[in-house]
Amino acid sequence: MTLTPRRAAVLFLALLASATTSAAPGQHRSFVACPIVRDTSSVPCWLAEYEGELYFLTLQTDVSAPVNPPQLGHQVLVEGVATDEPRVCGGIPLKPVVLSVLPEIDHSCSTMLPAEDRYNLTFEPPRPPGPSRGRLAFDNAPPPARPAAEAETLPKTFALQYDFDGTVAFRHAQLLQQIQEAALKGKATHIDITAYRTASLLSNGKTLTEREDIGRRRAEQLAGLLKDSGLAAVAYQLRWQDAPAPDGEKDAAARRADIVVRGN
Amino acid sequence: MTRGGRVSNLRVMRSVRRLAFVALTALALAAGVRAAEPGRWWSPGDGGRLPAYATYANDYGDLGVLNTSGPIDTKGHPFFEPIGGNGRACVSCHQPANGMSLSVDAIQERWRVTKGQDPIFAAVDGMNCPDLPAGDPKSHSLLLERGLFRVFMPWPPVRDDGAAVEPEFTIEVVRDPTGCNTSPRYGLKSGTPTVSVYRRPRPAANTKYFTHHNFGVFPFVGKGPLATARDAETGLPTAMNMMADARVSTLKTQAISAAQTHLQFAGALDDARLRQIVEFEGQVYSAQVRHRGAGDLMEPGGPPGLGVRNLAAGAAGVLGNNTTQWVFPVGDVWKALTTPASPSEAPRNRMRESIARGHDVFMFRTFWIRDVQHLNTVGLGNPTKRTCSTCHGMHMTGMDVANGWMDLGVTNLPWAREEPLNPWNERKPQMPLFKITCTASAAPHAFLGRVIYTQDPGRALVTGKCVDVGSIVMQQFRGLAARAPYFANGSAGSLRDLVDFYDRRFNIGYTAQERKDLINFLSAL
Repeated sequence: MTLTPRRAAVLFLALLASATTSAAPGQHRSFVACPIVRDTSSVPCWLAEYEGELYFLTLQTDVSAPVNPPQLGHQVLVEGVATDEPRVCGGIPLKPVVLSVLPEIDHSCSTMLPAEDRYNLTFEPPRPPGPSRGRLAFDNAPPPARPAAEAETLPKTFALQYDFDGTVAFRHAQLLQQIQEAALKGKATHIDITAYRTASLLSNGKTLTEREDIGRRRAEQLAGLLKDSGLAAVAYQLRWQDAPAPDGEKDAAARRADIVVRGN
Repeated sequence: MTRGGRVSNLRVMRSVRRLAFVALTALALAAGVRAAEPGRWWSPGDGGRLPAYATYANDYGDLGVLNTSGPIDTKGHPFFEPIGGNGRACVSCHQPANGMSLSVDAIQERWRVTKGQDPIFAAVDGMNCPDLPAGDPKSHSLLLERGLFRVFMPWPPVRDDGAAVEPEFTIEVVRDPTGCNTSPRYGLKSGTPTVSVYRRPRPAANTKYFTHHNFGVFPFVGKGPLATARDAETGLPTAMNMMADARVSTLKTQAISAAQTHLQFAGALDDARLRQIVEFEGQVYSAQVRHRGAGDLMEPGGPPGLGVRNLAAGAAGVLGNNTTQWVFPVGDVWKALTTPASPSEAPRNRMRESIARGHDVFMFRTFWIRDVQHLNTVGLGNPTKRTCSTCHGMHMTGMDVANGWMDLGVTNLPWAREEPLNPWNERKPQMPLFKITCTASAAPHAFLGRVIYTQDPGRALVTGKCVDVGSIVMQQFRGLAARAPYFANGSAGSLRDLVDFYDRRFNIGYTAQERKDLINFLSAL
């Protein structure tokens, strides 16, 4: 094929367009979109489109995975960093990435793409779509003997990260257990909870702000859960406040509650 | 007669005697098992002995009931005695022949035999509403047609400590075919506001599997979320895997609650009787032991997960996988059957192969599981490409390992069984219908939002949470052949109906063969 001036111009414009829409490696991307499911011959991929580019969010794995897939029927807030790794399922991988399923229903988020050979994974997924096996199988071995109870050194600080507009979720049960155990072992007398309400600076320059009462709800919910778990006699100090202004990079990290377990 | 002839005759006689002995022994053994049964129906106060092992016929073969502590003397035993005010005992609704549950066939039979006088038809919950005319089968239609007892829940909900729960939603009665939810005495606007829902009794057997303290039992439950209910005596977190809504979480508290409501027992059960009930329920197992087509499910060398003895010996609180401990261990023994020794064995082998294939459908046939609150919302994504065993993952029973409530769509519209009305159809809806409107500040149901129509709000009647509307604790799979209908609201009259619900719900697209194999597998559990 000869490169005619006309073709060269089209190619240049295409490259220019590509350069303006694709995120450069290391560039933060923060946007709200409908998630897209693309099936493969093994587990499905989760993708999202932003400004004409497709981003790979995560694979279907298991509840214990560091990143859980979003949900059709809901928009997702994507906060991640573009990489120069090979595309997965046609999308630019974002690493790290934080995904927040937005609570309200959006029926327009319904795209499921069929499996195509060209998008099949080039690596073994961590977990197959059926029952667990291989390296992720629970071997059902008896749990290791718990070390003798040691007095917990207090104070001890924990941070619980939230989804946008979210409260305690399924994945938080383990961290809550750590807080409870620290309080019990350390004979805690006080637990201080400071929960934040945040905003996210999106890549399009707009700001997405959490619901007004979310800081209070987060703090009160945590205190209620800990009280119900056997820590009713502990004194709780609850605070809630707005996080510093969003910067488009550290917004997800600011969406948290700090819990300080203290003794006498 | 020659000596040789006498010897020959003696041999013949011995052979005849031996044959007769073998035959009589077999008959005696068989008769012994049957004779040991005090009848297929246990009435309160019968006073017989429940054998250590007994079998009961059903449409798919025989169910086995195993008491691992040996025969049970039921005379004076609080599980079997009519301790309440309405003549019922625990056994009334937990019949050995029905896998320690109660089939709709057995209910109908009791209606015929007793002309509606059996204590199971007591007005308190064996009637659609206690203020309906006595003796009229229409007053008991939900029990007679779907095997459902009335469960009456205070509204708003009340916590264990007696504090009122502030619900996140309002509840309106849209349809009230039983009359109970609009009854001035029993309804939502009565002096003691009550919501009446209608549910199946669950098997009071194989209990170690849903009362374990192993995998999945933590101090906090991510669904909701909430702090895990604790056993008041041990202080340990419980599996919260009992009853349709997990409103009680130990066998003891369940016995107390059931005695007060279903048995109309006034007062408090003493510790000795509670202990007897809990001990009995902790040692009784039920599962299918003989299959009409596949024969003996417990024969040596057979599938290691079938039959009641394997079930009793199984490890509790284990999440099944396909490497070390399958959900239902069937192995490969029925996959590669050798040529049958006789032509009569060929159909048996074909059925065994079908059961093995049905297991693989259960375990490995993927489909898109979609829009299930407390499944697709717990980190798996919506949809998730998985299999039946994703939710039904507990080794040996197919329950969730803990906190097994989710909204599959059994009671919530649009998936709940609802027949569109038309002027030419005399059938009317049987189930009540409620409109749930969640407050603007509540976290909405992830897939139904803030306005939900439901036949039974399920766990939300305990927690008052919008996200729990329609969530029901999943049930064990053992002894299914003996205790139709299925689902908490009895909406699946047969195993075929049950499989069809999932096929419709998740657009699975089972082939006729897959469907048949899956049903055969379920009928062998």
